[in-house]
Amino acid sequence: MRYWPLLFAAAAVFAVGSFVYSPFDPDWWLPAGPEGGLTSVSSIGRRIDSLYILILVITGVVFIGTQIALVWATWRFADAPGRVAQYFHGSQRLEVIWTIVPAAILVFIALYQMGTWADIKFRSSAPKIQPLAEITGRQFQWVMRYPGPDGVLNTGDDLQLVNDLHFVKGKQSLIYLKASDVIHSFFLPALRIKQDAVPGLTIPVWFDADTQGKYELVCAELCGWGHYKMRGNVTVHGSQSDFDEWMGRALNEQNRDTVAAVGPQGR
Amino acid sequence: MTSRFRLVVVVGSLTLAGCGDSFHAGPIGYTENAQLGIDLKDKPKLQAAVTRAMANLYGPTPQQIKVPAGSGLPDGGVHLTNLIQQGEGDRTEVRPIALPRVDEASGQYMASKSTGKLLGEPQEGGYALYRKHCLHCHGVDGAGNGPTASFLFPRPRDYRKGLFKFTSTPTGAKPTREDLRKTLKYGLHGTSMPAFEALMSNRQTEQVIDYLLFLSMRGETELGLIAEAGVADEETADEAISDTVAVEIAQSVFAKWKAADSQVVTPETPRPPSTPESIARGRELFLGLNKTGNKVECAGCHGAQGRGNGPSFIDEATFTQVVFRGDPSGMPTRVEALTDKQKELWKASVDEWGDPLRPANLTRGVYKGGRRPLDLYWRLAKGINGAKMPAHLGLIKPDQIWDLVNFVLALPYDPTLLKGATLPGTPAAVPAAAPAHAASPTTSPAPAEDPRVAVRR
Ligand SMILES: [Cu+2]
Repeated sequence: MRYWPLLFAAAAVFAVGSFVYSPFDPDWWLPAGPEGGLTSVSSIGRRIDSLYILILVITGVVFIGTQIALVWATWRFADAPGRVAQYFHGSQRLEVIWTIVPAAILVFIALYQMGTWADIKFRSSAPKIQPLAEITGRQFQWVMRYPGPDGVLNTGDDLQLVNDLHFVKGKQSLIYLKASDVIHSFFLPALRIKQDAVPGLTIPVWFDADTQGKYELVCAELCGWGHYKMRGNVTVHGSQSDFDEWMGRALNEQNRDTVAAVGPQGR
Repeated sequence: MTSRFRLVVVVGSLTLAGCGDSFHAGPIGYTENAQLGIDLKDKPKLQAAVTRAMANLYGPTPQQIKVPAGSGLPDGGVHLTNLIQQGEGDRTEVRPIALPRVDEASGQYMASKSTGKLLGEPQEGGYALYRKHCLHCHGVDGAGNGPTASFLFPRPRDYRKGLFKFTSTPTGAKPTREDLRKTLKYGLHGTSMPAFEALMSNRQTEQVIDYLLFLSMRGETELGLIAEAGVADEETADEAISDTVAVEIAQSVFAKWKAADSQVVTPETPRPPSTPESIARGRELFLGLNKTGNKVECAGCHGAQGRGNGPSFIDEATFTQVVFRGDPSGMPTRVEALTDKQKELWKASVDEWGDPLRPANLTRGVYKGGRRPLDLYWRLAKGINGAKMPAHLGLIKPDQIWDLVNFVLALPYDPTLLKGATLPGTPAAVPAAAPAHAASPTTSPAPAEDPRVAVRR
């Protein structure tokens, strides 16, 4: 069939078109801040995004190139009355070229991303600061423990919460990540932070955000039937005093020893 | 028909089959309380009368929910399903509920920016939300027997008794809506009940509470009807379980729920500061050493070191053997294999639902009913409904309850508090030096014993 190449071409155009369109879609797959937008709200997130875009451009160029070659070849050498098939044994030079080129690209990407990876994941890169909290994944919630007024974790004045992460914008925050039963994965999509929580290990994780607002924390590991329930609220406070005020309120609630007016009944 | 065409038809219809509703199980239905068959074994007419009364009161299936008048549920319970019936007779129309969207922050209705019309928000309704988030543990009728229930310890709550463990109201009374809201939003630490705050909006939370109240009231009414039928005569079944009787029983259940809000227990005295003296007094009470004649002896169940291994409960090794070694359904067999003395202890160590209990290990700082001093006050003052933790208010004074609260809150962070302590009447485990050290809990712990050192930076 003479017109098969057109079908291949249409599929390729559709694929490229949907890539080009996707940033303008409300469900853009790189979640960002409360106001939307294309980039992450954290400095680490933006470095990951730029790596992502770089890889997307490289693979996009290769994809478009190979599709053009494919369509051209199928069109040019299509079956026609009277045309005789030719057999040939391939080209060693071509084989070597199309092995070396992708290998070189891979090596380039591997070397190029190394610094980013080291800055995000190496223990030695962890900021030397007071931890914001100790977060333990358990089936099926994130148990959070913030150092209380004494600034020391695991003392009687700690603030203990579930599924409620708070930190201050524009400031590095460090947490200690643990798991008490199975492997969970601490995932802040808007910040591009994802780290497995492994039973028996205490893993430092650090992040920042430059936009105040509400985000989400999820578990990115299929950790059991209640996996989808491991969702947390993330609040990025505009200033340290905002954060301290929230902390004060939460501690007051934790230390509550009187009956307050009963909350809103019904709806 | 060519064979290739047939193949396309077969493969195509198989593929499309996955897209339809065809693979869904049939409609979900309530099951009858097993007690119905036990208490009314040879009385088929009375059984039928109870079943009929239940269907009349609450609807025959969850899809045909009826909420009897006077239930106290908001809006008469119309939000329990996501459907609402409008109009009468031939013009009756059943359609999905859509409520105006409310901005959670300001509490204002939200309107469309272009047309100015109020934005509608489709409602899932309590039943749909319950089915999504709760049913797999708590079961269709709230019997705590959903498909995942057997894998959990402790087992999920069976709502049908209308009994809830962690409340702010007196022993045996119903929980307030706020109690249930707290459990739903923040979960029960130390159990499999997760926190739902980040999963549901405030409005959805209220809808789930509505539905669980509905199930609870329904279950308790059913138990009431079975009890009523138990003393009735088979020959006059229809008169004994008449509509009037059924409504009366339901109304008495509703009345108990409505009373809850006015029953919240307020601590009679303010909490004293957590001083070493207050903690030491709490320690004495805990160990039963207090000489004022007020015997509480928490250590009998919670153990002299607070590890949840006191002599009043079956020992931990046997407990683990029975509960966790093997298929949960084999538990009765494993209980049978115990010695007579152990069996006796075992029988005393189950809750109102027949599920095995374990006293809390207080050194871990995990409190199922909440960790606020107020929550601990409630646990100590009024106990835990349906479990072995008794109410202590009356046995000891409110001040002493606060001393115990201060002690319990301090214990996880100061392991020296109960070091070497023994139960009264038993020989000291460690002679001389250790009890003396334990008797002065205020002395600062040696650095090597301090668990905080490891994380201090
Ligand atoms: Cu998980």
